[in-house]
Amino acid sequence: MNEGWRRPRIRARRSALTVALVAAGLCGLVTAGALAQGAGKALIGKLEGPEVVTDPARFPKALKEAPALAALVKAGKLPPVAERVGQDPLVIKPLHEIGKYGGTWRAGFTGPADFWNGFRCCSGPDHLMFWDYTGDKVLPNLAKGLETQEGGKVWLLHLRRGMRWSDGKPFTADDFVFWFEDVYRNKDLVPTPSATLAINGKQGAIEKVDTYTVRYRFPEAYYMFPDVLAGSTDLAGQMFGYRAMGGFAPAHYLKQFHVKYAGQAELDKKVRDEKFDSWVRMFLAKNDWALNPDLPVLSAWKTVTPINTPTWTLERNPYSVFVDTAGNQLPYIDKVVLTLAENLEVINLRAIAGEYDYASRHMDLGKLPVFLENQAKGNYKVYLDPGDYGGDMIIKFNLNYDADPEIGKWFNTADFRRALSLGIDRDQINETFWLGTGTPGSVVPVDTNKYNPGPQYRKLWSTLDVKKANEMLDKLGLAKKDAEGFRLRGDGKGRLRIEIMTLGGQFVQYTQISEMIREQWKKIGIDLQVQEVERSLALKRTAANEQQLGAWNNDGSEHLFTFPLHVFPFELAAVASSGPLYVKWFHSAGTQGKEPEPRMKELMEKWKRAFGVPEKERIQLGKEIWKIAAEEVYIIGVVGMGPASMGVRVVKNTMGNIPSRMYNSPDGKTPGISRPATFYYKN
Amino acid sequence: MLTYIGRRAVLAIFTVWAISVLSFAIIQLPPGDYVTSYIAQMASMGSVVTDEEAANLRIQYGLGQPVYVQYFKWMRLIAQGNFGMSMEWRRPVTEVIGERLWLTVVVSVAALVLTWALALPIGIYSAVRQYSVADYLATFVGFIGLAVPNFLLALVLLYLGFVLFNAHIGGLFSPELQDAPWSPAKVWDLLKHLPIPALILGLAGTAQQIRIMRANLLDELRKPYVVTARSKGLPERTVILKYPVRVALNPFASTIGYTLPYIVSGSIIVSLVLGLPTVGPLLLKALIAQDMFLAGTIVLLLGIMTVIGTLISDVLLVWIDPRIRLEET
Repeated sequence: MNEGWRRPRIRARRSALTVALVAAGLCGLVTAGALAQGAGKALIGKLEGPEVVTDPARFPKALKEAPALAALVKAGKLPPVAERVGQDPLVIKPLHEIGKYGGTWRAGFTGPADFWNGFRCCSGPDHLMFWDYTGDKVLPNLAKGLETQEGGKVWLLHLRRGMRWSDGKPFTADDFVFWFEDVYRNKDLVPTPSATLAINGKQGAIEKVDTYTVRYRFPEAYYMFPDVLAGSTDLAGQMFGYRAMGGFAPAHYLKQFHVKYAGQAELDKKVRDEKFDSWVRMFLAKNDWALNPDLPVLSAWKTVTPINTPTWTLERNPYSVFVDTAGNQLPYIDKVVLTLAENLEVINLRAIAGEYDYASRHMDLGKLPVFLENQAKGNYKVYLDPGDYGGDMIIKFNLNYDADPEIGKWFNTADFRRALSLGIDRDQINETFWLGTGTPGSVVPVDTNKYNPGPQYRKLWSTLDVKKANEMLDKLGLAKKDAEGFRLRGDGKGRLRIEIMTLGGQFVQYTQISEMIREQWKKIGIDLQVQEVERSLALKRTAANEQQLGAWNNDGSEHLFTFPLHVFPFELAAVASSGPLYVKWFHSAGTQGKEPEPRMKELMEKWKRAFGVPEKERIQLGKEIWKIAAEEVYIIGVVGMGPASMGVRVVKNTMGNIPSRMYNSPDGKTPGISRPATFYYKN
Repeated sequence: MLTYIGRRAVLAIFTVWAISVLSFAIIQLPPGDYVTSYIAQMASMGSVVTDEEAANLRIQYGLGQPVYVQYFKWMRLIAQGNFGMSMEWRRPVTEVIGERLWLTVVVSVAALVLTWALALPIGIYSAVRQYSVADYLATFVGFIGLAVPNFLLALVLLYLGFVLFNAHIGGLFSPELQDAPWSPAKVWDLLKHLPIPALILGLAGTAQQIRIMRANLLDELRKPYVVTARSKGLPERTVILKYPVRVALNPFASTIGYTLPYIVSGSIIVSLVLGLPTVGPLLLKALIAQDMFLAGTIVLLLGIMTVIGTLISDVLLVWIDPRIRLEET
């Protein structure tokens, strides 16, 4: 057991750092005073955003471009803007007004693993289909349109005529076929196919109809397909190129790195020269949007200095297909400069000092008072973007826990789970850790979400009721208590002690919140042990079925069909799991793992069925899934719909077209959903 | 003397080899591998890595092979002058380290110079004027310097720098000069950013060195040879500086073995807090991400520096202290 010595060490360092941070932040906090109750809520504005124009009658008649590009055109170094954009521009109506060209957007990033940072701000987004600003409706994006045939089995994707890659080469159906045939179906690049290109486990195919038409053919009806293209899935554009996904790829550029097209000898030499281990590693690096400045892209900005250097710089893509309603080619802002800061405190302090123009990633909700205090000095404004998912913090019961059969038995008892949920004082937690900006309740998403089963499910088993919780636990046979008031186990082996596993250094302070719940559960006689572990260890223990309770959030679950991970046991590699054996059962069609209990099975079946039915039926199934989740309390929702995860937004007053609130979700690539290409500097 | 150095050098080579084995083994000790930590990282960003993908990654990186196979693969690469590819940075390890190495040396040397420039005179003074007001003051400040954790000081200075002086937060360059090619303006910018890290990094060391210098010198000052020198009428300055101080310097010479690796790694936590682009945070992140080749190369580098540093301090000790004689066995 080399784990024993790891844990205390990690905790000691974290808590020492925390003490220091508290001390450093104290001066700010004291002067700002504690945030008045409810003051945080006042920072939440109205959901708004730019609009994608699909009606050709509203398209601009002529196109304009940034002065720097106009100069290049004049010098003969670049074709005219109309030629670069093509006949079918992607027209976006900016939120407030038509912007002005120019400026550099300054922000921070934490290193090469922080690539979501750039995808979220600067990729456009480059999905074929994408959400409207409410995150609800799927609209055409890079593709001009998507139509279904043969009852959902065939999908025709229409591309924009004359659209080009950032190097000026045409973007056509050939880029889809290349990706599908040579990248996706190459066993070295993609050994196991993606579930996104399959329905009920049966793989689909991509074919070329003509230059600007692509056909997706599936063996069964796949009504979910537009949502899959719009969400942050394997088919979501070049973002996932680094792992050979994306749905399309620049064939004309990548062929030189592909074993099928480049000669083996020549390719081997290239691999050696660039010090890669294999052609596969090299190909993936070359197809990496954040890493390879030479990669032709379709995004609004493109990488010019890569993510593995101290500054990740992106510049406007001269061939960007995005334009505003006045015909100005987007983006307005010339350049995005992300500077490396390996420490979150440095990033936060730089934002407080006004050194960033726009920052929401890595901003710490706990520092809200300090952010507010320095608004005038830093010439910025703070916005809050609460998420639509039900749990900024959730607690998963591992239903498969068998190392201690008694504990496993209680976890599989619905009333035990419900009683524990009733023992949590969510208001206290909300005030302490969310400064009152969150919403206490169960795991179900926001009331306006189309899959929300109804407002009564927010509170179901999710209010503080110590008396009822105690009664329920007594009735289950846990009435005997020890001298300190803790309930005793049924098998006579002393106190009923359960463990919760948490991770430190996250957007939400899981450990500290769990410590508070530990205090609260004393009133219902439950002895909770909080264990903060390092994340690799967490994964290992979860997969090995060693976790009892796990603390995490359910972000993404507002789109429960494209992001089911926190709705039911879906992935083995999770830092908190409701049941690793159920995961195996689910993915092996029942041949491995353990068969779930009836209601869990019902939930899984409904989820599977939803992919092949029209939207109306799917919405109904979604509601039923959330009903089961709220009734059974497989996962306790603590506080949700708060801005803890990337929802604290610090924006310079000089920036225009900034929504007062935006849809906050990984699926919406927030702020991508607000189209940062339309942000601009007012002076 | 030459045979002594020669023998030590041969031993050093074996030590370095042992370090390479150890460093590789240490990196394999924590549960999981690069792929596990990669999955965890993705998870904390709301992204999912499927089991199949994880398996695929393990094959691509050769992580499934036994440890000794991985070690020999790494050794073979090193023999060709290639220290491997950093998994996280996806660049050759030598490039990733090289970029930061000399900035680290600049910061560390600045801190070291500051430490010695402050510690030696203050240490000598407080020993010679033991129990004077200045000695008490130096002792007081010294103990505070020892007791306050560096990173706390770093955080406080960062915050005060911002509140009082509107200083740029962290780092070694202003944002606009970060990527600029080297120029007098950039060097000046670096020099302007240097004092705070140098001060913070140097402070604890300074406090410690003051105490060591003071204690050593106090021991020496009471010895008969000092009394003799003084009674012979040597000027006080010569009495102190020429004999007891020289002897009291021994511990400084013998700590060079630890100083050298420090110069190439810098302080990890302080660098992290101050956002310094040095090797220290790189090592920490590499260990957390289980980026084997990167972490292994840095640990190896530190090991080599320790070996070289020990060699230097052994030779230096013989040179400055005539009492130390080579023992032939």
